[in-house]
Amino acid sequence: MTYGIDEWFVTALARTIRDGEVTFHGFASPCAQVAMHLAKRTHAPRMLLIEGAMYALDPTPPFIPPTSNDASLGHGASYAMRFEEFFDAAVRGDVDRMFLSGGQIDRYGNANVTAIGGMPRPKVKLGGGGGGCNISATIGALTLWSTNHRSGRCLIEACDFITDLGHRTPAGTRAELGYTGGGPQWLVTELGVFDFPDGSARLRRLFPDTTVAEVRAATGFELVVADDLGTVEAPSERDIALIREIDPLGVRRQEFRAAELDRRFDAHAGTPTGTVP
Amino acid sequence: MAFHTAQDMRTDLAGAAAHVTDGALVALGGGLSARLPMALVRQLIRDGTHDLHVIGSAHSIDVDLLVAAGALAVCEESYVGFEQDLGLAPAFRRAAQAGDLDVRESCCDTLLTQLRAAEMGVPFLPVRGIRGTDIPTLHPEYGEVTCPFTGETLVVVPPLRPDVVLLHAPLGDAAGNLHLEQPYVLDERFAMASAAVVATVERLTPTTEVVAAGITIPAHRVAAVAEVPYGAHPSSCYPAHPYDRAHLAAYVAQAATPDGAAAYLERYVRGTDEAGYRREVGEERLAALREWDVSEPRWRKAFA
Repeated sequence: MTYGIDEWFVTALARTIRDGEVTFHGFASPCAQVAMHLAKRTHAPRMLLIEGAMYALDPTPPFIPPTSNDASLGHGASYAMRFEEFFDAAVRGDVDRMFLSGGQIDRYGNANVTAIGGMPRPKVKLGGGGGGCNISATIGALTLWSTNHRSGRCLIEACDFITDLGHRTPAGTRAELGYTGGGPQWLVTELGVFDFPDGSARLRRLFPDTTVAEVRAATGFELVVADDLGTVEAPSERDIALIREIDPLGVRRQEFRAAELDRRFDAHAGTPTGTVP
Repeated sequence: MAFHTAQDMRTDLAGAAAHVTDGALVALGGGLSARLPMALVRQLIRDGTHDLHVIGSAHSIDVDLLVAAGALAVCEESYVGFEQDLGLAPAFRRAAQAGDLDVRESCCDTLLTQLRAAEMGVPFLPVRGIRGTDIPTLHPEYGEVTCPFTGETLVVVPPLRPDVVLLHAPLGDAAGNLHLEQPYVLDERFAMASAAVVATVERLTPTTEVVAAGITIPAHRVAAVAEVPYGAHPSSCYPAHPYDRAHLAAYVAQAATPDGAAAYLERYVRGTDEAGYRREVGEERLAALREWDVSEPRWRKAFA
C-alpha cells in the first residue's frame, strides 16, 4: 500500500488536535477539514468538531464537498450553531483550536490572507480573512498550515499585510495587545512541521524526502532547527483508509501543486501516539 | 429599521430590485456558495444601479458580478472568492489591483458587532482582535476606548445600518414571512439591522406552510417579496437544489479577462431576463440539480 503527501499532510494536521478540544476550521480549508474528521475517528473521539461555514456540531458528511457551506457538511449533525453563537464562543475563549492558513506567514505566525503587496494597491488581491482577524486573538491555540512552502513565497521575513495574529506584530506581543488566546502552536507545511517555542517558528519535524537545506532555501526568515529534529510521524494504514473514506472526492488534493502530489510513500503498520505530529 | 406592517408585500423581481437606489448600503445575504441573492443581483445590473456599498461575510459570484458590471463603489466583505476549488474572484481581484474599487475588507465578527450595534440603537460596541493587524488601516472609522471597569484598551466600531438586505429564501408567504435553511450566516442580523428586507423566494406558499417550516425572518422586517425560482442559482438553495459547480467554474474561467466577463454579463444578465437566464443555463440542467436528494451517489455527482 502506498499513500501520497496529501494523506501524510492531513495526518500531521490531525495530530495537532488533542482529545476533548473544541476545534474549528474556516472556509476554503479542505486539508484541515479532512484532518478534523480523521482526528475525531482516531485519537480524539471526544473533540467537539465544529464544521466550518456550516457551524454544524460533530456531523458525519457522506463526502467532503469542494465548497465549505454545503448542506452535506451538516449531514448527521443534530445541531448547527448560529453564526453569532460560534463567534461569541470564539471571542470569549471557549474554542480551543482553529486551523488557519495564509498566502504569507512570518516567523511569529502572523498571516496575510488580504493582499500580496499590501493595501490599498495590491499586487495580488487575495480573498480576505473571514473572521480570522478577530478570533485568531482569542482562540486557545492555532494550527497553521501551508502547502506552498517550497515556492519560497509563503514563509517570509515580513507579511505585506497582517490579517491574522501570530505571537507578536510590530504593534507588540499578544500580552501587550491584551489577547487571551495562545496563538500559533504548530505550523505544518508540505516540507515539515514547526512549533513555536518562545513565540517564534522552529523546525521540529521533516518529511523524510526533504532536507533541512531544502527547507532553509524555501524559508524567508532565519531557519531555527530543533535539537531533536525528527521525521513527521507517518500515518497508519487505518489513517490512510479513513482519509480516503472521509474524502472520496479527494478535495484535500486541491491544496497541492501537481508536482507535490507525485510524492508517494510506502505504508507501514505503526501505532501513532497522537500527541506530536 | 422601521416595521413594515402592510399585509401583502408581493411584487415582481423588478419591483423588488427597485428598493435598491444608487449609492445604497446593501447587505448581501447567504454566503460562499449558499443562498446568494443572485436574481436580485442580476436585476440590479440590468437596471444599471451603481455606486453601491456592499457588506457581508464570505461571498463569491454575487460580489464578483457586481464588480464586473461596475455597480460597486465600496466592498466591505470579509472575503470574496471561490475557495480552494476555483480560486480568486477574477473581477474583484482585477478591480482591487487596478484601484478601481474601494476595498474596505472587514472581518466576520466585526461586521456582526456593527450590526448588533445598529439593532441595539447604540453608537458603538467593542470588538475583540483587530489591534495589531493591518485591518484598521482600511477603517479610519474604528476607534479605541479604555474600559471603565477593567482598564483594558478595546477597539470599538460604529453601527452598520444597511438601507436594504437582499435575501433569497426557499419559502415565503405574501406578507413576507421567510423560512431559511442553515447556514443562516448573517441573514437574521441583517434583517434586524437593515431598514428593509427585500427577498426573492423559491416558492410563495400559504402562511401555514411557512409557519410549519419555521419562520426565520418575520414579515414585519420585509418590504418586498417576489417569487423567483432558481433565484439563488448558481449558488445553492437547499432543500431545492445544491450549487452549480460547473457553472461557477465556467464563470471563473470566462471572467479571467474583462472581455470574458462582459460576454458573460451580456449572455446571462444584461441581454436577457430571468426566464432567459434559466433557458441559457438549460432547463434540463436545472431540473437535474433538483434531483440531488434521490440518492447519496446522485448528491455526490453534483460535486464531481
